[in-house]
Amino acid sequence: MATPHDTLEAVGAGLDALDAPVASHRAPVWQRFLKTGVPPLVAFALLLGVWQGLWASAILPEFQLPSPLSVWNELVSSISSGEAFGILWTSLHRAVFGFIAAVLIATPLGLLVAKVRVVRAAIGSLLTGLQSLPSVAWVPAAILWFGVTPSTIYFVVLMGSVPSIANGLVAGIDQIPPLLPRVGRALGAGRLASARHILLPAALPGYLAGLKQGWAFSWRSLMAAEIIATSPQLGVGLGQYLHNGSSLNDINMVIAAIFLILLVGIGIELLLFRPLERAVLRARGLTGAL
Amino acid sequence: MTATLETSVARSTSDTAVALSGVSKVFGHGSSAVAALDGVDLRVKPGEFVCLLGASGCGKSTLLNLVAGLDSPTAGSIELSTSRPAVMFQEPALMPWLTASRNVELALRFAGVGRADRRRQAGELLELVRLGDVAGKRPHELSGGMRQRVALARSLASTLASGDAPGLLLMDEPFAALDAITRDVLQAELLRVWETTNTAIIFVTHDVREAVRLGQRVVLLSSRPGRVVREWSVDGVTDSVAVLDEINTHLREVISGHAS
Repeated sequence: MATPHDTLEAVGAGLDALDAPVASHRAPVWQRFLKTGVPPLVAFALLLGVWQGLWASAILPEFQLPSPLSVWNELVSSISSGEAFGILWTSLHRAVFGFIAAVLIATPLGLLVAKVRVVRAAIGSLLTGLQSLPSVAWVPAAILWFGVTPSTIYFVVLMGSVPSIANGLVAGIDQIPPLLPRVGRALGAGRLASARHILLPAALPGYLAGLKQGWAFSWRSLMAAEIIATSPQLGVGLGQYLHNGSSLNDINMVIAAIFLILLVGIGIELLLFRPLERAVLRARGLTGAL
Repeated sequence: MTATLETSVARSTSDTAVALSGVSKVFGHGSSAVAALDGVDLRVKPGEFVCLLGASGCGKSTLLNLVAGLDSPTAGSIELSTSRPAVMFQEPALMPWLTASRNVELALRFAGVGRADRRRQAGELLELVRLGDVAGKRPHELSGGMRQRVALARSLASTLASGDAPGLLLMDEPFAALDAITRDVLQAELLRVWETTNTAIIFVTHDVREAVRLGQRVVLLSSRPGRVVREWSVDGVTDSVAVLDEINTHLREVISGHAS
């Protein structure tokens, strides 16, 4: 005969089996591709179809609306001549360096604003305000200060991305449930240990959102700076390529440039930020939006 | 362990784990001051299970925070001869990005345990609360009762690893948010764990049944300010219905005293 203790143990084991959330199985690769890969491809094909139709109806003259094929030819020729890689490299390495510098500046800045009351009172709203200031507004000033040099471009990129990253970190820290640091204190964590093992990991989703936005801002700031600040000294980046297309009245080149700019933006999002964000959210069981 | 705690260890006698004498706590200043605790005397023996019973506003949580060292009393003294006390809250408050095992290991890390020992001790503690086979799962993959058991293992890790002195667990209505069946099972688990580890426990609850079932001693606190009204030794009580009735009557008296 089972003792009361054994019975309770069995009840406990039964509860564990019943109450534990059912682990969801990941669908096979082809199913996931069908769900997430096909819709954007279909949308893109539709867009191409509309474009082709508009061009065929000849409402707009050829120098305003080229055919998809002629833009494609422009892209292919610039890629096969190797020009496209040079242009992409020039812009991408600037964006990446600028972004890394922005992370290095914005992270301690965000920590200061989040944790030191005086600093928050002093520059908290300025930081939020800077986020709504288009960073292209800094270009004229930067040209006057630094001339048409890489410094100008990096300055504009930093002014664009630092506020986003810092604000993301601040938001991430503000949204930490107060119970977690309290538990840390109850477990005997010092200030430093608490920051490293509780505050930073807990703020990670917000920080990551800030990084993502910071990248987007640094990329678009870079494009703005490159379009306005052009000189032989700076070489040809995507912005200059776009600028050249406009100067030459070459609509094919202009649309090819826009396409490349978009491609980089989407590529970095898909290859870097989305997998990172998914991994972080999945580990916390925040899979609602995935 | 802080320096103040170490001096108190030297002074206290070995048959007392926790000694509160004349502890008062006032929040705020001047006319807006609120007295949460007023002259509370309480002694807990090593390995003893004491339940603090009281309605809302009796300063139960304040008392636990004071004993845990998260807050300091306005007057009176608190002496501990245990290792660093561990607190368990109503919510499990596990770190959502860490597995069950890592959550327990985090407490051991804060207690200064080396890497290799952390792994082993965390595994043993999870076995103790019967969660050895879900050590690699994250909190969102566990049920509410399982999470609270991980929190129990984490608290035990914190208090048992931080010194050779016997442990002290402070529990702030840890089962209040669970359903009745799970609560019943967890109460039995807690008793089993308590008997295995010989840890002193101060358990705050507003449930008379729970207090009588778990505790060796039930201490009734009044509300605003919190004072010790009465206490009952309920260890090995045969007629638990009579005791429940008696304690219930007193609890109701304390609460209805605030009606005016």
